[in-house]
Amino acid sequence: MTKPHEHDDRAPAARWHSLWLLTVGPTIWALHFLIAYCTAAVWCAKVVGRDGSLDGLRSIIGILTLVALAGIVLTGWFGYRQHSFGDDSSTHSEASSGDRHRFLGFSTLLLCGLSFVATAYVALSVVFIGTCQ
Amino acid sequence: MTRLLQLRAMWRSSRPAILLFPLLSGCNGPQSALQPAGIEAERVAALFWWMTGGGILIWLVVMGLFIYATHIRRHKEHSVRRTRWLILGGGIIFPTVVLAALLVYGLILMAQLRDFSGTTLKIAVSGEQWWWRVRYAREDGSMVELANEIRLPVGERVAFELSSPDVIHAFWIPSLGGKVDMIPGRTTQMILEPTKPGTYLGACAEYCGSAHALMKFDVVVMEKAAFAEWLERQAAPAKPPQDATAQQGLQAFLANGCGACHSVRGTEARGQVGPDLTHAGSRLSLGAGTLPTNAETFSRWIGHTDQLKPDVRMPAFGMLPADQLAAMARYLSELE
Amino acid sequence: MTDSVQDNRAEITAGQEARLTRIWNSPPGWRYWSAVNNTEVGRWYTVVTFAFFLFAVVLALLMRTQLAVPENDFLSAQTYNQVMTMHGSVMMFLFAVPIFEAFSILILPQMLGARDLPFPRLSAYGFWCFLIGGVFVCGSLFFGVAPAGGWFMYPPLTTAYQDGLGSDIWLLGLSFIEIASIAAAVELIVGVLKTRPPGMRINLMPLYAWYILVVGGMILFAFPPLIAGDLLFELERAFDWPFFDSTRGGDPLLWQHLFWIFGHPEVYIIFLPAIALVAMIVPTAAQRPIVGYGWIVLAAVGTGFLSFGLWVHHMFTTGMPAISLAFFSAASEAVAIPTGVQIFCFLATILAGRFAPSVPMLFVSGALAIFILGGLTGVMVAIAPFDFQAHDSYFIVAHLHYVLIGGMLFPVAAGIYYFYPMVVGKQLSERLGRIVFWVMFIGFNIAFLPMHFTGLLGMPRRVYTYAAGIGFDTLNLVSSIGAFIFASGLALLFYDTLRPRRNQPYSPRNPWNAGTLEWLGEMPAKSWGVRSIPLIKSRYPLWDQPNLMRDVDEGRCYLPDAEEGKRETLITSTIDARPAQCLRVPNSTFKSFWAAVFTGGLFIFATYAWYTVALISAALAFVTILIWLWTDTAVIPEKPNKDIGLGVSVPLYASGSASVGWWAMFITMVADMTAFASLVFGYFFFWTVHTDFPPNPAPGPGLFWPVLSAALVLAAWGLTLLARRYNRQDRAHGFYLALTLAILFTLGGTLALLAGPYLSDLEPTSNVYPATVWVLVVWGTLHLALGLVMQVYCLARRLAGRMTAEHDIDMQNVGLYWHFLAITVAVTAAVIGGFPEVA
Repeated sequence: MTKPHEHDDRAPAARWHSLWLLTVGPTIWALHFLIAYCTAAVWCAKVVGRDGSLDGLRSIIGILTLVALAGIVLTGWFGYRQHSFGDDSSTHSEASSGDRHRFLGFSTLLLCGLSFVATAYVALSVVFIGTCQ
Repeated sequence: MTRLLQLRAMWRSSRPAILLFPLLSGCNGPQSALQPAGIEAERVAALFWWMTGGGILIWLVVMGLFIYATHIRRHKEHSVRRTRWLILGGGIIFPTVVLAALLVYGLILMAQLRDFSGTTLKIAVSGEQWWWRVRYAREDGSMVELANEIRLPVGERVAFELSSPDVIHAFWIPSLGGKVDMIPGRTTQMILEPTKPGTYLGACAEYCGSAHALMKFDVVVMEKAAFAEWLERQAAPAKPPQDATAQQGLQAFLANGCGACHSVRGTEARGQVGPDLTHAGSRLSLGAGTLPTNAETFSRWIGHTDQLKPDVRMPAFGMLPADQLAAMARYLSELE
Repeated sequence: MTDSVQDNRAEITAGQEARLTRIWNSPPGWRYWSAVNNTEVGRWYTVVTFAFFLFAVVLALLMRTQLAVPENDFLSAQTYNQVMTMHGSVMMFLFAVPIFEAFSILILPQMLGARDLPFPRLSAYGFWCFLIGGVFVCGSLFFGVAPAGGWFMYPPLTTAYQDGLGSDIWLLGLSFIEIASIAAAVELIVGVLKTRPPGMRINLMPLYAWYILVVGGMILFAFPPLIAGDLLFELERAFDWPFFDSTRGGDPLLWQHLFWIFGHPEVYIIFLPAIALVAMIVPTAAQRPIVGYGWIVLAAVGTGFLSFGLWVHHMFTTGMPAISLAFFSAASEAVAIPTGVQIFCFLATILAGRFAPSVPMLFVSGALAIFILGGLTGVMVAIAPFDFQAHDSYFIVAHLHYVLIGGMLFPVAAGIYYFYPMVVGKQLSERLGRIVFWVMFIGFNIAFLPMHFTGLLGMPRRVYTYAAGIGFDTLNLVSSIGAFIFASGLALLFYDTLRPRRNQPYSPRNPWNAGTLEWLGEMPAKSWGVRSIPLIKSRYPLWDQPNLMRDVDEGRCYLPDAEEGKRETLITSTIDARPAQCLRVPNSTFKSFWAAVFTGGLFIFATYAWYTVALISAALAFVTILIWLWTDTAVIPEKPNKDIGLGVSVPLYASGSASVGWWAMFITMVADMTAFASLVFGYFFFWTVHTDFPPNPAPGPGLFWPVLSAALVLAAWGLTLLARRYNRQDRAHGFYLALTLAILFTLGGTLALLAGPYLSDLEPTSNVYPATVWVLVVWGTLHLALGLVMQVYCLARRLAGRMTAEHDIDMQNVGLYWHFLAITVAVTAAVIGGFPEVA
């Protein structure tokens, strides 16, 4: 048995590492979802009424969606950078901080992919639904 | 328990059906969403069959792969790189595309179903523990109230305004379309557009207490002319008693305080608590779809409401003399 | 090696083992029930959970008997409705969720090579709460007073239209159990993050731990809305505050929102841990590491998030605007993607490996066959127009049983077969296992496949009877027959697990040749868990690290001994698992038991409206918990550091964010904030549904008192933090002064908060507005009272010498609590005082 982390010469340059990075993409999805739902609920209840049109809301949610998708792509890119640490044959399953670094980057990237699709799905709603009915 | 003893007889009669299930079970029935008689039900049934077909296909492919991996080639070690493509293709790309397409179709369909414009008839239905108060708005602005039965003209878009004074119910006629909840303090809306004349069944779909299972109603889709004539008849006051027995029945009805809860338009009975009975004899069923309508069932109902419908609000009048009960039943069953 | 060295080594080992045994063994005789060790508590928890499961199965059979033929009179409507309600409630609250807690308490420490979880008494407390609450709720059925409102308890049926105690029993009994679930979540999250063996970096964690981490997080956001809903509900039941009464401005839909914000994530809280079992079984069966570890992490985390965007799909027919339905429809479709990815990862692993058939794998295949079908019907009902037809019909009954039985029960059965040797030391019968599987699988499909059609033929759910001749008869009879076949399979499973096996030899060690740490244990298992805690360098250390088992057995790894006669386990850093602390965990005690009994008393007596007795019970629970905290938490060790072997020395005491207690407080407060957010949501929900909420002009509480209260509380917060700093600097006088002032400000802030609605005569029973204001005020007041107790506690700890400048866990945790308290009061003041001004 050796002491832990004795020979970790391939340590990544990035100083910052955290589990929270994983949650950034899905959190952006959640915020987008919640803001879209609340805005629509208030729009139909307080602004245009139950038979009103969603036209104004569409642009609000459109802009919101673009911001959210940009945030997700940015986070994903960050994850991709982290994943690309080391050479092409690098793994994520070994006991080194480089692997841990790549693993967190890879998982961040995947979660951003899922969040992107989920956010786009939610945004489809305002494309096809036009009124508060 | 007595019913369980009839199992044997039932087994004998339906043995072939059980053995050939599900082929023979079919999709038929007066309450079936798969035998549609309205625009919404038709579209949803079609959607259901497409989704079912697709779903079975996906299931077969995935399970086929699984059986291949665990039984047919279980000792072969496939390359990890290729199996990763399976994860990407089968787990990500395929579902993302298929689900997006399905979602778009669902959204378009929902936008169409939620279009409340262009209706020609308005019906207010109130779900109450455990029956339905139905009110038709006539062209002259007057309302016609009846209970536990809805008749609709074929080919017309009908708007329903749904409400409840007590607990949450849900209004559902599977053959015509989906369901919408009736929520105290709110009015909800739905549109139905029947396409085929016929007799169907509706039911309460939201659990609403003891007799939730017995909160049903009849739906008759009629040709337009027949419908107009029927509505005219429903608007008229009740037919006066035709003979001495019926006359005695009306008297008993009034004397026993039935009028405190029920209305029979044209008589002194003007209660608003329970179902309007002005044309009770013309209805297809009694007790919100519990019994057929005839003199015998009316008598059973009045005498034993508590046994026929658990926790029903209407007290049982079994203590009345048999002849009074029979006369009342006779009177009511003749209210056509 | 010479003989003498070897003898010497054997002697040392024997001595170490004797010491470990002495300290880790459970007490004998009746004191056995004071055990708090994860293996004992985990076993009790599992057994009790299955007892409740059996009870709910019997209820299901009663229902299927009633529905076998039309117009049956086997059960009365009232009885059927109680049975139906209890079946759902027991399966969900007393089986499906707790079984994951039970399994995890039992196997997670083993997987992590830990001796115990960080808060053993909390686990024990959770277990006893669960047992008491569960027995109370189930027992009500035998007195005919069981809840009959359905497991979803929709008001106003349950608030105003059902007599008797049923709804109260449901609310109070199950709230009590929800608290136990949150306790388990705290325990398991900290367990995963902090008690991993050295070297087990975050990328090497067993997948089970990933899933538990996600599920723990989900519980923190899913259960509190229900607890908030329960609070509103019980306030309406007991004190007539009209939150759901539409005649006084309430709205029954608020309950539906709160219930399903809990209810849908709950489905995934049930599903993910079961799939986690599959993720452990599949690599063993394929005899290779999982393919797509990262993808499974994606699936677990992604599902955890997306599951919170689905709740309205239980409310598709409530007449909400189509646009709202559309958002939830979209999220409900999206969640199918991560769910599917996991299945393809399992497939890929089996394809890439050399598959070895086994009974656990048989159950896994059955699980997949059933669950995929349930998932596909789930995609169908997520399309709102189809749901308009399927909702509340037997189609949904079929769908949810396919999802839950395929996604939970079959994996759990696989888990039983797989982990049985680890827990009991002996294997279950392979031959019987195959029979059990086929009986269950066939029975299940006969019972539930026809229900899809029954539903689409128009049969609504929750009906105690149905009419003959409209197409339901044959299908229902087939379902009933299937249900009995299914149940006989379950009976066979129980027989096999419970039958005495005195003559059966112990299973060989690691019988499945698995790669993960839980199979390190000896057969039968030793009370101490692992002999010594190894350094981990792989996801599957038993496959990849040669001689691991021998090194561990010979005590060559960390913590091979218990020199000081204390129970100890290792705490490591969150990401890279570097040894950080040697944590002393408490030994057997009855304190958790009594705390649970008295807490139970509070809830049970409150059900019968015996408020005096309930308050006495609450006070006793409070005192018991205080004694428990005072005597055995934040104990100052006899030396600062301990040599844990291999030349590594770690501290015995850590405070602030380095301590496990701080994390427990943080996690608990996240859950607490979620409950608070749910109450605030209620306020704004009423604002959207009414034109006069808050009324204009608002009858209270005005701006002055809430703002004053917030100012005083923020000052108290600042002073508490100052006291924390002075304590660190060992400035005793400053500490006492700051904390005493903080206590006075807290008192003032509490009184000011109450003064607002009290002085403006807001009458909570009159309308929903005053009720909503009052509930926020009551929430804030209770939290301030707790904050006050904590301040006094810290004062007393320092006076008693149990807290010093260096050993300040108590003060650190109280400071953390106060951050959250400050937010709570500030938000409350802004909402009740500020919003009426701007609305």
